[in-house]
Amino acid sequence: MTGVLLVAALFWLIPLIWTVLVSLRPSDESLVQGNIFFGSRITLENFTETFRIVDWVGQYITTLIFVFGVLAVQIVTIVLAGYAFARIKFRGRTILLTLTLVQLMIPSAVLLVPNFATVRGLSLYDTKLALMLPYFGSAFGTFLMRQTFRQVPLELEDAARIDGCGWVGILRNVYLPASGPTLVAFSLVSVAARWNEFLWPLMITQSKSNRVLTVGLSQVLRTNEVGALYGQITAGVLIVSFTLLILFIVLQKQFVNSFLRSGLK
Amino acid sequence: MSTTLTQPTVHKLDSGSLWRGRFGRFILPYLLILPTLLFISAFTLWPAVSAVINSTIKPAPTVRQQPAFVGLQNYIDLFNPDKEIGQVFPRVLLNTLVFVGVTVPVSMVLSFFLALALNRKIRGLTFFRFAFFYPVLLPLIGAASIFAFIYADNIGLANILLRGVGLPGIKWIGDATWTPIAIMIVALWKQTGFYMILYLAGLQALPTDVYEAADLDGAAAWTKIRRITLPLLSGTTVFILTAAAANAFQQVDQLYALGEGSPADRSNLLLYFIFQKYSERANQGYVNAITVILLVLLLCFTIFNLRVIEGQAYYEN
Repeated sequence: MTGVLLVAALFWLIPLIWTVLVSLRPSDESLVQGNIFFGSRITLENFTETFRIVDWVGQYITTLIFVFGVLAVQIVTIVLAGYAFARIKFRGRTILLTLTLVQLMIPSAVLLVPNFATVRGLSLYDTKLALMLPYFGSAFGTFLMRQTFRQVPLELEDAARIDGCGWVGILRNVYLPASGPTLVAFSLVSVAARWNEFLWPLMITQSKSNRVLTVGLSQVLRTNEVGALYGQITAGVLIVSFTLLILFIVLQKQFVNSFLRSGLK
Repeated sequence: MSTTLTQPTVHKLDSGSLWRGRFGRFILPYLLILPTLLFISAFTLWPAVSAVINSTIKPAPTVRQQPAFVGLQNYIDLFNPDKEIGQVFPRVLLNTLVFVGVTVPVSMVLSFFLALALNRKIRGLTFFRFAFFYPVLLPLIGAASIFAFIYADNIGLANILLRGVGLPGIKWIGDATWTPIAIMIVALWKQTGFYMILYLAGLQALPTDVYEAADLDGAAAWTKIRRITLPLLSGTTVFILTAAAANAFQQVDQLYALGEGSPADRSNLLLYFIFQKYSERANQGYVNAITVILLVLLLCFTIFNLRVIEGQAYYEN
């Protein structure tokens, strides 16, 4: 069993290993020249060459703005809505909750075309805000917070109320401290998902200052159409992915638990 | 207000008074959910409705004229072989159904057995978890770019290995039969680790006493899996099924790097087809109709899964 597992693991790892190796060898050497693994020398020229095609630094910053901009708004909206759905009885609560959860069934990815029309109608085409808009509302996050909040003992909220807290104080003193791990889990899942978005950013942005990393990779791909320089393409892949991969290596347990929670309803 | 119970210190400087009146208490929950509801309405609910509406419209041929209401004509055109789009769309629809129909079960079976294998006390769990899960964290277009290289005709790893054992190389990207397979391999490689983690969670939550009883009865390993493990995991399985299907319909980024549907749309998938037709400024009535069809497929799947959940309240409560 373990033998089979090892073979499977190696199969899964080979693309990554191969990518790293190829990105470090000179692009113009075919695979039969020199050492099968490293060519005649290890070089970073593939990486530097891609900097001529893509403004990686700018796009890295744009990606950070995109990812954390979305996350910031998401956390605010899901905590507020999660609290309301979890602990306040109000008319239409069930219907409104169901409407919210429709998003779990209809991923916004599928709605590329209508959303494009909406954003254009708002005169927001090719803005960073347009990048972020479809993701601000998170049914998944709302549901997650609702479940988490419902597990907080009511007595804590009652006690806070007795002490004179309004809803802001209750959130701040009772519910937020109790939901730390859930918020971390949600954040990791959200960041990973946004980091890897492609079609929507491709459609909705145009100017260089608004491009995210994945779009940068597509630029490298397209530049290399004729006579593909795979050294550059693999370098591009690593540049786009290294952040999440390193984060994963450092925080493996948290990452795995986060994605686990996303599955535990 | 000075007596406190033994509770953590509480800050009193908050907006209590504003929300305590009858009106304040009434309106508060609606305001709290307003942002979420606003964004979901604007970018999920409304677009779905607008896609349906726009799918019944034929765009104006020239700027002067008005778009015309054509009812379901656009949908009929999609399947009409006399129309250009009617020659291509059924093919893409079929591709998508095949893609979902193959990758979902295969990835679920694979991930289940991987989870079983990892659910024991083995050394190197961290290593194995990384090995299978890291593709989940790569952008799909990145994964596809890696495989584009592996699939390259002469210098690609796949063909090098094939030739190394005496087999002829395959034109992975470009051949009508192999291109869909190549794309499915990428999808499987990328997502299986995620479902494996979900199955692992399910497995680790299983009670051990049932297994001990089975062992006392001398049950074989495969029997235990079939009779105990699988039924107990039915909830997890349904969840993974829903997630996998939703993923399978959405994950089309890889087509950008792997042929863009070549040859002749034989490997194209619905969502990417929509993206292409939109970029080409093709008839938007058609584009919206295809979007609606995709939505309906997704909803059917979800509703089907919900029915299965209701029927499968097995050992759980």
